Amino acid sequence: MNARILVISFLTLATLPGEGPSAFAIRDARVVRVSGPTLEHSTVILRDGLIEAVGENLSVPAGAWVIEGKALTVYPGLTDALSTWGIPEAAPATPGAQGRGGAPPAPGPPATPASPPAAVARGPEDRPSNTSWLRAADLLSLSDKRIEAARSAGFTTAVTFPTHGIFAGQGAVIDLAGDRPGQMVVVSPAGEYVSLTTGRFTSFPGSLMGVIAYIRQIYLDADHYRLTRDMYQNPAGLRRPAYDRALEGVLESPRVLLPATREVEIDRMLRFAQELKHPAVLYGVHEAWRAVDQIKRFNIPVLVSLKWPERAQDANPDDKETLRVLELRAHAPKTPAALSKSGVHFAFYSDNTRPQDIRKAVKRALDAGLPADEAIRAFTLSAAEIYDVADRLGSIDKGKIANLVVTDGPIFEEHTKVKYIFVDGAKYEPIPEEPPAGSGTEKTE
Amino acid sequence: MRRLWSIPARFFLEIACVLMCALPLVGAGDDSFLLRGATVHPVSSDDIPNADVLVRNGRIAGIGSHLAAPKGVRIIELKGLHVYPGMIDSATEMGLSEIGAVRETSDVSELGNLNPELRAIIAVNPASEHIPVTRANGITSVVTLPQGAMLAGQGALIHLDGWTWEDMEVEPDASMVLNFPIVESPRLRFFRQNATPYSEAKQNYEQRIRELEEFFESARRYQKARVAKEPGLAQDLKYEAMLPVLDGKVPLLIEATREKLIREAIRFADKEKVRMILGHGEEAWKVKDELKAKNIPVILGPTLELPVEEDDPYDRLFTQPAELVKAGVKIAFGSFNTSSSRNLPYQAAAAVAFGLPYADALKSVTLNPAQIWGVADKLGSIEEGKWADIMITDGDPLETRTEVKQVFIKGKSLELDNKHKQLYRKYLNRP
Amino acid sequence: MRLHWMILCLAAGSLLAVRPIPARAASTTLIRNATVLTVTKGTITHGSVLVRDGKIAEVGENITAPADAKVIDATGDYVIPGIIDCHSHIAAESINEGSTSVSSMVGIEDVINPEDVEIYRALAGGVTTANVLHGSANAIGGKCTVMKMRWGKSAKEMIFEGAMPGIKFALGENPKRQGSGPNPFGNTASLRYPATRMGVEDVIRDAFTQARNYEAAWREYREKVARGERAVPPARDLKLEPLVEVLEGKRFVHAHCYRQDEILMLLRVADEFGFKIRTLQHVLEGYKVAKEIAEHGAGASTFSDWWAYKVEAYDAIPYNAAIMVRKGVLVSLNSDSAELDRHLNTEAAKAMKYGGLDETEALALVTINPARQLAIDKRVGSIEPGKDADLTIYDKHPLSNYAKVLTVMVDGDVYFDRDRDIAERPAREARRKELLEKEAQEQKKKPRPDKEQDSKPQDQRRPQ
Repeated sequence: MNARILVISFLTLATLPGEGPSAFAIRDARVVRVSGPTLEHSTVILRDGLIEAVGENLSVPAGAWVIEGKALTVYPGLTDALSTWGIPEAAPATPGAQGRGGAPPAPGPPATPASPPAAVARGPEDRPSNTSWLRAADLLSLSDKRIEAARSAGFTTAVTFPTHGIFAGQGAVIDLAGDRPGQMVVVSPAGEYVSLTTGRFTSFPGSLMGVIAYIRQIYLDADHYRLTRDMYQNPAGLRRPAYDRALEGVLESPRVLLPATREVEIDRMLRFAQELKHPAVLYGVHEAWRAVDQIKRFNIPVLVSLKWPERAQDANPDDKETLRVLELRAHAPKTPAALSKSGVHFAFYSDNTRPQDIRKAVKRALDAGLPADEAIRAFTLSAAEIYDVADRLGSIDKGKIANLVVTDGPIFEEHTKVKYIFVDGAKYEPIPEEPPAGSGTEKTE
Repeated sequence: MRRLWSIPARFFLEIACVLMCALPLVGAGDDSFLLRGATVHPVSSDDIPNADVLVRNGRIAGIGSHLAAPKGVRIIELKGLHVYPGMIDSATEMGLSEIGAVRETSDVSELGNLNPELRAIIAVNPASEHIPVTRANGITSVVTLPQGAMLAGQGALIHLDGWTWEDMEVEPDASMVLNFPIVESPRLRFFRQNATPYSEAKQNYEQRIRELEEFFESARRYQKARVAKEPGLAQDLKYEAMLPVLDGKVPLLIEATREKLIREAIRFADKEKVRMILGHGEEAWKVKDELKAKNIPVILGPTLELPVEEDDPYDRLFTQPAELVKAGVKIAFGSFNTSSSRNLPYQAAAAVAFGLPYADALKSVTLNPAQIWGVADKLGSIEEGKWADIMITDGDPLETRTEVKQVFIKGKSLELDNKHKQLYRKYLNRP
Repeated sequence: MRLHWMILCLAAGSLLAVRPIPARAASTTLIRNATVLTVTKGTITHGSVLVRDGKIAEVGENITAPADAKVIDATGDYVIPGIIDCHSHIAAESINEGSTSVSSMVGIEDVINPEDVEIYRALAGGVTTANVLHGSANAIGGKCTVMKMRWGKSAKEMIFEGAMPGIKFALGENPKRQGSGPNPFGNTASLRYPATRMGVEDVIRDAFTQARNYEAAWREYREKVARGERAVPPARDLKLEPLVEVLEGKRFVHAHCYRQDEILMLLRVADEFGFKIRTLQHVLEGYKVAKEIAEHGAGASTFSDWWAYKVEAYDAIPYNAAIMVRKGVLVSLNSDSAELDRHLNTEAAKAMKYGGLDETEALALVTINPARQLAIDKRVGSIEPGKDADLTIYDKHPLSNYAKVLTVMVDGDVYFDRDRDIAERPAREARRKELLEKEAQEQKKKPRPDKEQDSKPQDQRRPQ
């Protein structure tokens, strides 16, 4: 019921599809295509959710809404390459079922306040902390207030994931607008989100090396599962293989996302990814400035967290921080520049940074030497390429999805304002900047 | 490359040696004798080669060359051997704890925050296996300390010999133990967030400090009322126990590690006008000038300890004793342990490798602790009038390889056999 | 020498804080005029060691320095083979997978942390190789890794190439602890089998029975395939595979143990399943069953003099190492501690005091003997031509408590040098100061109206 009200309020903000014009023309604007050279004084024509044309001296279709683009810049809509936008935190991470393929996740943010104590896992066979089959596409909700905030900050796209547990589930590439959750989905599944969270000492896996061994065993099990399933196409004389949704989920995922922040972790996960023989993406990578050559050698794309490391707010002032930590904090924002310089494929992700603070975070990377066009690419085409959706997203090209952000200046400059956002060809205007409140959906009233 | 050892002749020699060590050089019970021809290391003065030490009725009666043995006093020839005062371990749980992991064998930590009335001495088990094991390495006295949340109770200086704890006591209330409160926010780990917010930990800390200050304040009032013979003053065991501390007769051993807390502890001791001894003090080097200025001695924890901070130099704790001594701070070593008390001299030696003058190292396990604990009139050096707490060695006692040949406490020759030697003999001879 | 390092440090700049670069020695180095304690080939009072391309090229009294050699004048100093710690837990980001009684699927190799400062501290204590073990929370623990202390190198480069992989077992009090309440983790529902030494044996016996069955299943599968029959391969089991390797003699067992009964139990279980226990770790009552240990051929890696910290250590005696040596057991002394590994040389001296080993026997306890136990003695453990140039130089006799480490080489590269260490200190402190100041300045730049939030951290979310 509430959802319905929200949906309606949404629609009032957006141009009502079906009722408004189906075509837009942004005229005489600066068009940063990303896939090719930036065009000055050019026109972008959108129709039926797609980019119909881009170029100089295009004729505006009759009946199209025209936006005078003089002094405006058009970019492909920004992408949060690893997000939870669209998945309200209250959404249960796990269905209630237990047992093989359905053991509850390790304690973390509890799904429901009164969830019973988790059963003790004794090994990989108990499939602890595993909801690999869970799909972000099935968990989407338009009631997540962050969607609108993100859009207002210039984001049109997110690759959003369930994030609870070791095998948290499968992400989806979503557009940040729609009438119904299903309309948001561009591609699903987009990858398996893996974390290296350890549970209690007394339940498997209770250590980092336990988690790694667990993931390794799961991928071996998945291989074997596929093999037996395939062989059973001809069942004569073979024992029936059991169904295992934890392995189904792993097999469905086109790629696996592995966490790595420090150089040591990056090195570890690069080698681990290679061992898994499964396409992988590393996320976090704050210390990648020390590991660019290694990343380059392994040819694995990385997602850079925009939550730069900071001293804990409530730290004991007498605790002497290690030089290592200080160096990391000083150097982390140099990571994108280093990656860009060496040609590593990378994109950015919000890492729970509030959408309205993301530009500030990017500024630090720019100050540390990342060229602005490289930053834009990381937020658009690179993200699309990493998730293999560059045929439909990530640049301003004919035939791609009409996801655009229109600004009154260079997008990452401090005083630049977002004027319009187009998602699937529908026009949105940014909500007025609110004083910052708690992030996320918890303050929804 | 491996080969089975044929049992060499040396093997039998060793058995013989162990058996011999088990037999005292003189008959037990005879507390008058003359040690003759040894190198004497009085600690309080220069070494005397080829010297004699006369012991009468358990006390040192003379030191010099060619002393005449009074009639009836036995002569012990020590040619080639060395005479040192017995060593003192200034912090142990000796007698209070037998097996660290077994609660039933531990009488170290009592419940409650403020227990000044507790006395370690009465819980010392004279039959603890640790006593002969420690003694065999030349340690003749230890300070055994209660532990606990805050004011833990009274630590006792004891001899490592006696049928009962009364026999063992040298100074039953050598110190009052205060474990100075700490700010219990977990240390910042590499890339990990604090589990307990600092602000909360700080509040808890301040609360405990207040509790402590109020207790001292109450004890002062009690003291005044008592001096004034205030009618109707009900006796209070806790405050009674505080009186010698408030009078400065018994020192307050404050255990603290980090610089800030050491400074807080000094401020506290100043404010309460009590005589402070710093215990542990891993960061005492940062406070050395203040310690010197206020004449606060330090009972150092093991030299062979890891640095407090990741970025500290690897030898941070190795060099601390030398730095403190150079600054004029009086130090003594404590094992802060029971089963490794016998390794006390090696902690002093490790500091010598990193700059502590040898003479100071030797003092820090003999004369310094005797002075710090207020018993320098009785022990800590080979001087006339002091108790004959003596060890006889074949070399430098701070070196591991040195053998302790004989130990006397109050002139009594001690059994050096112990559980370890017994098991050694038993299993070496297992067919 | 010190000035030289100072210049190097300044040149290395801020990077030294993050990943110190070992001073790549000239490919040829001559250590001259030292007392060389080779451990296996006697002691040379005025000796020299020539190091070339990471290996010991020559050891003797009169070696003239080749023209291209860097010369370390070690007059008055002592050179020994780098110390080998047969039981260590440094350089790893996790130690125990204690949730299960058989955790052979996990391994230290997956969690090597080459930036653990304990590596550097171990080097500063003369250690060049360590056997990094899984913990003792379970009867069959995780896989272990032998590492060289190549401080500054990557995780992979830390691994002692070619060393036999190992696995940790544990007997006695530790593996049965989770079997009895109250559980230290407060959850009585999660009691874990076993609770007794009987159960520990059962767990081991059961695991190896499963491993045999697993091996048989694979054999059967391969036979079927060979016969041309259609067959489903068994699922790979990462828990059982290391145990199969143990059965095949391809993986060493390092077993934590204390009491003589459990030591004997394990030897008998191993005999029954036809494998060898490579080392008994701690083995504090090894002296009671030294004969049986020697007969089985297990090595013993023990503490010098720890005792009484728990019941199973109450009969521990400092004579343990010496008795076992005398009864034909290959013995080493280990640290099990990031602190103790820094003075294993003086731990070795205790075996002279307690039990009368001679100098060479004592030094062997921390050099060639652990090398033999880990089957790396062809490479390390003594100073002999052809072996790796893993060398530790002391200023005094290493069995003296007054000795300190001056220089440590691994593969001929200087990884620790006391002068360098001291010279680097001001640069590190300066760097810290610089970073802190920079951060403070940036903090000032940021508008932070709610900076004073000592008591109410949530205030930061207050609208500005």
